Amino acid sequence: MLPYLQNLSDYVEAIRAIRETIIANIVFLGQIPAPTFHEKRRAVKFMDRLLENYVDECTTDGYQNPVGIIRGKKSDLPPIFIVAHLDTTFPGDMDHNYTITETTIHGPGILDNSVGVGVLASLPAIFRHLNLTFDADIILAGVIQSLGKGNLRGMRHLVKTWPTPVRGAICLEGVELGRLSYYSEGMIRCDITCHILEEKGVEYRFKPNAILVLHELIHQIMGLRLPQKPRSRVIIGKIKGGLKHGIIAYDATLGLEIQSDSVRMVKAIFEDINDMVTGISHEFGVRMKLETISSVAASRLRYNHPLVKAAGQVMQALGIDTVGEPSESELSILLSKKIPAVTLGLTRGEHYHQPTSQMEIEPMFKGIAQVIGVLQAIDSGVCDE
Amino acid sequence: MSKNWLASNTFHYSRFSDLSDLVDAKHKKGLKISLCLPTLNEEKTIAKEIIIMKSELMTRYPLLDEIVVIDSGSMDNTIKIAESFGARVYRSDAVLPEQGTYLGKGENLWKALFVTSGDIIVYLDADIKNIHHRFCYGLLGPLLLYDHIKYTKAFYDRPIAIGKSKIRPTGGGRVTELVIRPLFSLFLPELTQILQPLSGEYAGYREIFETIPFPIGYGIETSMLLDICEKWGLDVIAQIDLERRIHRNQDTKALGRMAFVVVKTFLNRLEKLGMIEMKQELYDRMIQYQLVKNDITPDVMKMTGIERPPMASIPEYRTKFPRSGKNPA
Repeated sequence: MLPYLQNLSDYVEAIRAIRETIIANIVFLGQIPAPTFHEKRRAVKFMDRLLENYVDECTTDGYQNPVGIIRGKKSDLPPIFIVAHLDTTFPGDMDHNYTITETTIHGPGILDNSVGVGVLASLPAIFRHLNLTFDADIILAGVIQSLGKGNLRGMRHLVKTWPTPVRGAICLEGVELGRLSYYSEGMIRCDITCHILEEKGVEYRFKPNAILVLHELIHQIMGLRLPQKPRSRVIIGKIKGGLKHGIIAYDATLGLEIQSDSVRMVKAIFEDINDMVTGISHEFGVRMKLETISSVAASRLRYNHPLVKAAGQVMQALGIDTVGEPSESELSILLSKKIPAVTLGLTRGEHYHQPTSQMEIEPMFKGIAQVIGVLQAIDSGVCDE
Repeated sequence: MSKNWLASNTFHYSRFSDLSDLVDAKHKKGLKISLCLPTLNEEKTIAKEIIIMKSELMTRYPLLDEIVVIDSGSMDNTIKIAESFGARVYRSDAVLPEQGTYLGKGENLWKALFVTSGDIIVYLDADIKNIHHRFCYGLLGPLLLYDHIKYTKAFYDRPIAIGKSKIRPTGGGRVTELVIRPLFSLFLPELTQILQPLSGEYAGYREIFETIPFPIGYGIETSMLLDICEKWGLDVIAQIDLERRIHRNQDTKALGRMAFVVVKTFLNRLEKLGMIEMKQELYDRMIQYQLVKNDITPDVMKMTGIERPPMASIPEYRTKFPRSGKNPA
């Protein structure tokens, strides 16, 4: 049996034995609101928790990403990254106090990504408890400005400015245990705004309605013939507009994401939608604007890449059913820089993006053991092709 | 009125955030410390309190020696949850059963003296939504680092949780400002320096707690302060700024009942101190009114002022703690 598969079930028990430390870190960090661009308080607390857990070095990079370093035994080896994004989608004035029951923790952002950040901050204590050391340096990075308009800026900066090659990387996400992401689809995320021009004097009776104009745009997007190969899709994710029931909407905004295995296809669809926006804008006499807020290039590891194989073996050894799925988050930046990386889910949960989101405590212990198994696999050299 | 007390005996919790210092002081003095959480249907908050205290003040820094939950008969999952996270849980009626049992926070705190083993006991309410280990080490700091301090009490900002996901930034402490502070100002102005006399978080040496009586209900905080001041003076007390405490909002009627008990406790203590003379016994029923359809009907609640005697006077306790009743001064 491969060395990194040998002790996994013992790890689960040992990790469960220090569950209070792990849950405390999840709660302390997750209860600090951290909407994108406002992660500073959570970042400071993340560093505090790393220091309190006796990480060897703790600092921030030039973009204020907090980073902890656990020194390895061989200083000539490139480091291994473990990464979790610090930001959440919930506003700062929302009550972030979590509730813990016998089996669950719930509250805003617990799955995306308080559990990832809390586990990341707990790793030094877990390694010490399991008496684990590594050959390579382990870099524990909580990255800022990942979501939405953040456009993965923290991760981009961290990778771009890191002074040495990187041996491999693991990205931590709250759910779903069993997720094995080793590829990213190409993606463009954009907002389309529609504004009805106001005129002085008596208003024209049949003035266009911003919501109906966007409805026409959605109708045209739905008519796009998207290819099966490369697989492509357009997700209409957000819409808002209008003031009150009896008045036409003067402003409306549509948020959508274009995803495809092929960057060229993403760009082609984007151009198609841009043409639609221009045409509708002209036809209805309204002001429309298409704004790209985030984009990533498609990149992937092979399914038979040693890291993907090792991660699958680790999950199998722990009795975790594996599901391969793409990730457009930190993973895409790592893969685009040719750094072998996977994203792993830590536990199971419900109401993923709701204020009532809820994680299960028990599966997390297996989820953490899985991270340690994959980390040991990278440290044993599976990525050193 | 001692003008220096507020300056010399008021601390911010951050003064005690070097937990290694506190652990050293505890070991040097050869002390054991118990945390007691009185509960009644606290399933939403109890787990977090136990987990955070256990992680930070038992696993990482061995400041606490035990966490004990005294439950008044919860109908929800409080007991099961507390046990699952490793707290020692007692049902109040099963502790000293020969002494009988009453429902109330004070009763739980009194019985905690019998089941805990610490030389110092920290009492925290179990409904704190934003629990942090500062609530515990902040109270312990002055007790461990200043020999003359025997009792510590919390004060804080009190935002109120309203609805499911919003917090109102100010509020709380209404009984303090409308009832106890005016009474202190009228009769015992020195005590007005205690900024939140009704706060539910305090800690002290066993010798203090075992020699004072415990009212079984809301009057416990008031009587504790008055008794400690009378016996040992204000200088053995310190107050600690814990910054922010989020708690459940209570309606005005519930606060009215709380105020009733606080006033009654206060007046009884004043009479005992010879500061006032009451021509008749106080009534023991709080009468509030409610509108039912078009009729105004009274809502009467009997609130007897039962007090438990000093624990040191209980024979079973003296057997278990032979050195009980020692004067801490």
